[in-house]
Amino acid sequence: MKLIVRRAGERPGDGTWVELRRAGDEFEVRIGERVYHLDRVETNGSIRSFLIDGDQHELSIRPEGEHSYVVSGSGGMEVVEVLDPLTHLAEQSRADAGSAAAHRVTAYMPGRVVAVLVQEGDQVIAGQGVVVLEAMKMENEIQAESSGIVERILVEAGQPVEGGDALFEIG
Amino acid sequence: MVASETRRFSKVLIANRGEIAVRIIRGLRELGIRAATIFSDADRRSLPVLLSDEAYPIGPAPSLESYLRAEAIVELALEIGADAIHPGYGFLAERAEFARQVEKAGLELIGPPSTAIAAMGSKLESRRLMIEAGVPVVPGGEGALADLDEATALAESIGYPLMLKASAGGGGKGMRLLREPGELAAAFRATRSEAAASFGDDSVYIEKYIERPRHVEIQVLADQHGTVVSLGERECSLQRRHQKVVEEAPSSVVSPELRARMGEAAVRAAQAVGYTNAGTVEFLLDPSGEFYFLEMNTRLQVEHPVTEMVTGIDLVRWQIAVAQGEPLAPELRSIEPRGHAFEVRLYAEDPFRGFVPSPGKIERLRLPEGPGVRNDCGVYEGDEVSIHYDPMLGKLIVWGRDRREALLRLRRALEEIRIEGIRTTVPLYRALVDDPDFVAGSLDIEMLDRKLGSGELEPAHVSQLADLPLIAAALEHGLRQARASATPAPAGGRRGHWREAGRHEALRGRR
Repeated sequence: MKLIVRRAGERPGDGTWVELRRAGDEFEVRIGERVYHLDRVETNGSIRSFLIDGDQHELSIRPEGEHSYVVSGSGGMEVVEVLDPLTHLAEQSRADAGSAAAHRVTAYMPGRVVAVLVQEGDQVIAGQGVVVLEAMKMENEIQAESSGIVERILVEAGQPVEGGDALFEIG
Repeated sequence: MVASETRRFSKVLIANRGEIAVRIIRGLRELGIRAATIFSDADRRSLPVLLSDEAYPIGPAPSLESYLRAEAIVELALEIGADAIHPGYGFLAERAEFARQVEKAGLELIGPPSTAIAAMGSKLESRRLMIEAGVPVVPGGEGALADLDEATALAESIGYPLMLKASAGGGGKGMRLLREPGELAAAFRATRSEAAASFGDDSVYIEKYIERPRHVEIQVLADQHGTVVSLGERECSLQRRHQKVVEEAPSSVVSPELRARMGEAAVRAAQAVGYTNAGTVEFLLDPSGEFYFLEMNTRLQVEHPVTEMVTGIDLVRWQIAVAQGEPLAPELRSIEPRGHAFEVRLYAEDPFRGFVPSPGKIERLRLPEGPGVRNDCGVYEGDEVSIHYDPMLGKLIVWGRDRREALLRLRRALEEIRIEGIRTTVPLYRALVDDPDFVAGSLDIEMLDRKLGSGELEPAHVSQLADLPLIAAALEHGLRQARASATPAPAGGRRGHWREAGRHEALRGRR
């Protein structure tokens, strides 16, 4: 089985090929130039133990939607997206055509919108504050991740939001 | 002071939440006292409620409508027949008005008298009292300067370097560092006009500038019979934006002689305000060993466990004993630290994204165990971290025979711990235990912000093997798809490795 994986933050169209194969009780995995043989067991819930040449690695893996996985280990956590080759190809051609869709920014935690700092149609630069969100008694400025035009603002001041709710779109 | 008679509490109301409520419940239980807690609508399922003997709703989630309702809390304590109220830290703990209400109701506050809280709560008043009591304070800073002549004269008497500060400023605004006399005149004019423009108040004052200070604090304990003891220092220099994140005891730069001097100063500070119960006197310590009074925290501190670990003294137990009117035991007068302890505060915040809060569900919680490890934790696996309160989940505390052993133990415990579903400050501490300055114990109060700002402290990899998270996710996805296609066996469906693998894994997982 061939899949494409990419870390959160990598762009659509990017990614690394991974080839997975059963080899007896183990898995043979090719990633880039490297080949690993690993034993994988599930212990409780999301907990996985991997043995690679005798080295033990404990990770926790939780699916988040259809294609994303939150992987946690002793050093923290990261989100990994897994795509089948067809989906990846479709993404690549979209990216090549340059028709990048508007970039949508979501609330990373539940809270309340304190202020909206720009208007639809405004030009913003990467890093510019767009919405101020209050959570846990602290105000946090949600910034534009890329430069562009604010195409839509989806919230207004005073409104409560859940984590994952869309806040604004930059085209 | 009239020494009150010794009495026994049978029930205590805890006016707090989270890990400190849990800590107090434990202390009460060990003394056979019933533990009653209050909870907001957001905390009905919280760990303190689950552990308490009695629990009472106190209002909606926002603190102002629940944990800060002083009057309602005092009324509740009377209604349920509690003998005393333990305020913990934060919320109502340092509000003199609350202490007065408790006293007026004829209840005992497990803390100092309201008069001591009020005296230490005022910056000017406490500074004046400390000078009177012979406790060293940062030289200067005693009121607005009339003109440049007065500023020049005062600057000469204190000595450079100096800080020129706007009276109405704060949080680093309206401040100028002066290294030599030549800089004073221009800085005086500029700070004044800036202060007038920014704060509408042009009064400025000067204070001695303390270079690369450490934050070292002394734990004191005082009974109602006039005895005040020092239980030694805690080193709390690792702070981010003036909030402590890592503490240790003893401090690697405090000699027995300096400990004795700081202890004596702290005891004088407590005596000056008629203090009783547990309290902390905070000092700035400069590299030459001079120390200056910062403030007194008139409550139990978050970091009290490191003192407990190196002294063997249960501070909550003594807080209760003192509030019951018991005298301090004679052996408390000559406590020397034994071994070394660290505490790291576990915050639901992302340390590498400006410490933004990370509320949500704790999907997994594995706390470290084994020799020399203590967890003071206020949450459980499956718990929700609310947006309404301080994001501290709990504290991890370790003890070792010396600093080196304690550090190795801290590193080991941080490898064991897992808090998943939310982001926490654990990855920061994992980076910190390998930082040469932290390992060497050469700390100052700006070190952490400096190292985070410069990128010197960086998050560790999720796994030691960089490819593994990618591989693990790919395998998870592959097996998930295989399982999905294996479950409702379609007629003439494809039989492949992956379907078999999916079944195999499903069986293994169930074992």
